[in-house]
Amino acid sequence: MPQGDPGHDATNELGSSHGMDNHNANAQIAAQRLAEEAKEASSYGARGISDVTKAFTSAAQKLQPGQLVKDDYFTLFEAVGALEIMDPKMDSGYVPPGDTFEATFDVCKGLPAAEILWIMDELFRLEIAWFGGYPLSQTVFTSLHLDRLLSPDNKPPYTLNYGENPTGDIATEENLVHIVLRSYCIALAKCLQYVLGFVQSQNFYEEEDFVTHLFGRELLPKLGFNDADALLNDASTWLQSAALPSEYREALQSRLQFRKSLLTALNGSAEQWISCISAIEAVNKSHGHGIFQPEAFSDKVQRQLATSTPPRPVLKLSWDDACKQWTEMCQDIIEANRLTSAPIVQSASCLQRATWAFAYREPAPNTFTRAHMQSLLFGQDIISNTVSHFELFLTDIKEIVLTGHPLVDAESFQIELPSDPRHQCSRIIESFMDKAFDEYLNLYRMVCQNRCRIRRTFTQAIPILDELETLALGVDTELDNITPLQVLEIYGQPIRLNPLSNWTKFHKLQIVTWTVQLGFETDIYLPHELYTMYWLLLWYTSRQRQLLLCIEPFVLDRMKTLTKRRQTQQVVECLAAQDWLKSQGVSTETTHLISKALWRLYSMLMATHLIKTPKRQYAQESLLWDARMKSFFGLTNDPVPSLEDFVNAQHLESVQQSCRDIDEALKDARTNLSELRKMTPQQVRCVGTEEQWKREIKQMETTCVAIAVQTSQVLRVCAKNGDKGASGDEDLSALMEVSIPAPGSRYHDWWVVPLVKEKK
Amino acid sequence: MSAMNAGPAPSALSNTSTAQANDSELRYVSYGSERESPYLPAIRQLISKDLSEPYSIYVYRYFLYQWGDLCFMALDKNNHLIGVIVCKLEPHRGGPMRGYIAMLATSQEHRGKGIASKLVRMAVEKMIEKDADEIALETEIDNIPSLRIYENLGFIRTKRLHRYYLNGNTAYRLILYLKPGIPSQPTYPPDFPPLDGDMNMSSPPIYSPMNEDLIQRQTAQLNIEDVYDERQRLC
Repeated sequence: MPQGDPGHDATNELGSSHGMDNHNANAQIAAQRLAEEAKEASSYGARGISDVTKAFTSAAQKLQPGQLVKDDYFTLFEAVGALEIMDPKMDSGYVPPGDTFEATFDVCKGLPAAEILWIMDELFRLEIAWFGGYPLSQTVFTSLHLDRLLSPDNKPPYTLNYGENPTGDIATEENLVHIVLRSYCIALAKCLQYVLGFVQSQNFYEEEDFVTHLFGRELLPKLGFNDADALLNDASTWLQSAALPSEYREALQSRLQFRKSLLTALNGSAEQWISCISAIEAVNKSHGHGIFQPEAFSDKVQRQLATSTPPRPVLKLSWDDACKQWTEMCQDIIEANRLTSAPIVQSASCLQRATWAFAYREPAPNTFTRAHMQSLLFGQDIISNTVSHFELFLTDIKEIVLTGHPLVDAESFQIELPSDPRHQCSRIIESFMDKAFDEYLNLYRMVCQNRCRIRRTFTQAIPILDELETLALGVDTELDNITPLQVLEIYGQPIRLNPLSNWTKFHKLQIVTWTVQLGFETDIYLPHELYTMYWLLLWYTSRQRQLLLCIEPFVLDRMKTLTKRRQTQQVVECLAAQDWLKSQGVSTETTHLISKALWRLYSMLMATHLIKTPKRQYAQESLLWDARMKSFFGLTNDPVPSLEDFVNAQHLESVQQSCRDIDEALKDARTNLSELRKMTPQQVRCVGTEEQWKREIKQMETTCVAIAVQTSQVLRVCAKNGDKGASGDEDLSALMEVSIPAPGSRYHDWWVVPLVKEKK
Repeated sequence: MSAMNAGPAPSALSNTSTAQANDSELRYVSYGSERESPYLPAIRQLISKDLSEPYSIYVYRYFLYQWGDLCFMALDKNNHLIGVIVCKLEPHRGGPMRGYIAMLATSQEHRGKGIASKLVRMAVEKMIEKDADEIALETEIDNIPSLRIYENLGFIRTKRLHRYYLNGNTAYRLILYLKPGIPSQPTYPPDFPPLDGDMNMSSPPIYSPMNEDLIQRQTAQLNIEDVYDERQRLC
């Protein structure tokens, strides 16, 4: 029972994390608390032993039945951690009458090849379920063979009969267990260890994503990669001359080969992931030769694992699903390696796209592969042995706001003469980069989290980026004081180049719009909220447009100067930057137009009662607005619009006029999309993710078509019923009905196109 | 499906209750301030019958002892428990006074009669009376009848919680603000135990576990949105 001892490890199984920092923090606080309590206790008098039974009994009698005894710090979390001993559903140590405490299966006895094969396949199945987020206690730890090997009593060389190798004449069936299955299990334990190391070195969410708990067991700490690899080799050699039917020999070899490839891949040989995929195919082909040996697995193992988890049954996962998930995982790793390769990491924008492309692989990459992606990006200070984090960051600033500008010239950072303005500016920029560094890398790391978390971490990043923007405004002024920054007349106003604040705003607004869009994907907006949220997207894409208008002219101006000076290299860079800024502009405009179309469409459907707002007995408009906009209230530089702004922006039009406006917006959006389609991967900076980019454009085109289909449907039904809709707010719910497609059944999960049907 | 929605086992309670009871025969009462009400075993049975991993008596006492006035029961004419809602109300991270709906269950035979909805309204009104600033809860993303109940009352979905339940199911967090200015109310991590809140990505530590979320996830195990079959009435 974890009651009153929140730092204790026993609480962990039901909820707390095993991340070391947290664990240490908990332990530290618990230790502090204990020390304080001890100090307090010792102040009562001399230490000694006394019988408290009487005092305890009399105190207990003063309590009401059911009265809760707890201190002020006792949380619900701790209450939930309480277990009732001897309750079969709660107490994992409970042994029902007539049952044995331990499984009775003898792990030392020889088994036929067909059963060995089945056991290996069962482990293969359970292992991928563990990757999928289930605890070891419910998956591979239920193997009695593995349990024996990992038993705390077992010592190197970790044999199934506790350190004694079977001697004398051993039959084939026994060798199959003691040589083949044992080597497989030992290598499996090493694989688990590698995977745990990977996952725990990166950002992940304990229990939600993955369960790292080892239940007090260790994964053969005295054995290394070479030992496990050698055992697999020995097993393979023994199999070559074993008296077995060839199909069984080959089937077992393919399983050893799979394990060897996986172990080697996890040990750092990237090319081995391809071998894993072919090994999985081979394993799958001979799966049918296995003979059921369910006795080799038992959830009774849970009775001896260090846990406060209630007993849980061994996990079921179909063989086909297991093979599919293993293959997908290997493919995800291979793709992660490709997406962080040298050509892609040269451009920060390309790498951003690549990170998103990885996150949006279908089905969503599992925790281990997301950790792998993170380790490729952040495992070292340098990505893909080519680009350091500092270079990546500087490239990003350069690509977005300062192409061709001496401020981001690598040489400026080398100048050591303190009086040189380039030296001074470089130090100022470096100091800003230091402050923004974590948040910059988070732009990549956040995307490597599970998809629900991407949105939630974005909402936390918004106020931080906004504060950073405020800071950057000051830094821009400092730079201007040293070397005056360009001032250009933009739309009749003199505007100064504000490189760092514009860079920050660029990313901030991107995160803001993505946050809104991820809300559509995670389906947190109700049908009657959709017009509000598309209007909000419209609002922030306007901000993005304005920002681009304050960046582009400076690049053009700089290019003119550079051309005069015949600085060809920089001119080429400026041209590329202009192309990219243009593509950003067109892309932002497209998002803006589609948001506009959907905002108007949903407004019209609301006004004509085709989408109804529920009664909402306890809701107040202004409080609903507060609740919905909470994620954006931290914005001070681009504050979230007020409910009044929203209400004022709405205007009632006839259905016919609304449809015309929507179609107009869609027409422009489609023109933009075809323009984007014509741009090269270099221009839009989607090198390495060309396919994903094309798919994205295609999905948006289909979305536009789908919206237009809805407006024509509405117009057709209105016309058919005597030109209904002229007032814009008449109730059309007798004529039509609207359904909202769920995520996964949309042309693009960020664009919710309603489905209008005529009522028959 | 989550453990709590998976095939409800026929319980002693549902066997003894009169399946034909109509609304007029139902009484709605508050659990009140009794320390160990005779209804506690029935509450526990009603709630845990759909849970694969039930909670200890301690969890029920945790709520009922401290917030018995926020627990409401629907009883039939024979005083059998037909439905129950269990809640708490306390400051959320030192900030707004947050009501939390932890458990809601109606017995299998009496679903589709608006009992759950009535229990929620009683709890909400009591929380308003007790000066709550906001009310929160979690429910499974595919528990449409439950989502309808709350959304029809004015709750909105604020977060999608990946694999929130022990069985791997995903949840929505729903929230209802009762007073203005909630988003600007400061919240603080309590002094003890440490609650890191959501991943603070601005800090360098690699591990950013979220106690707060873990707690909420654990709490969510309790959230018995056992209101299927409300469909006829609510749709």
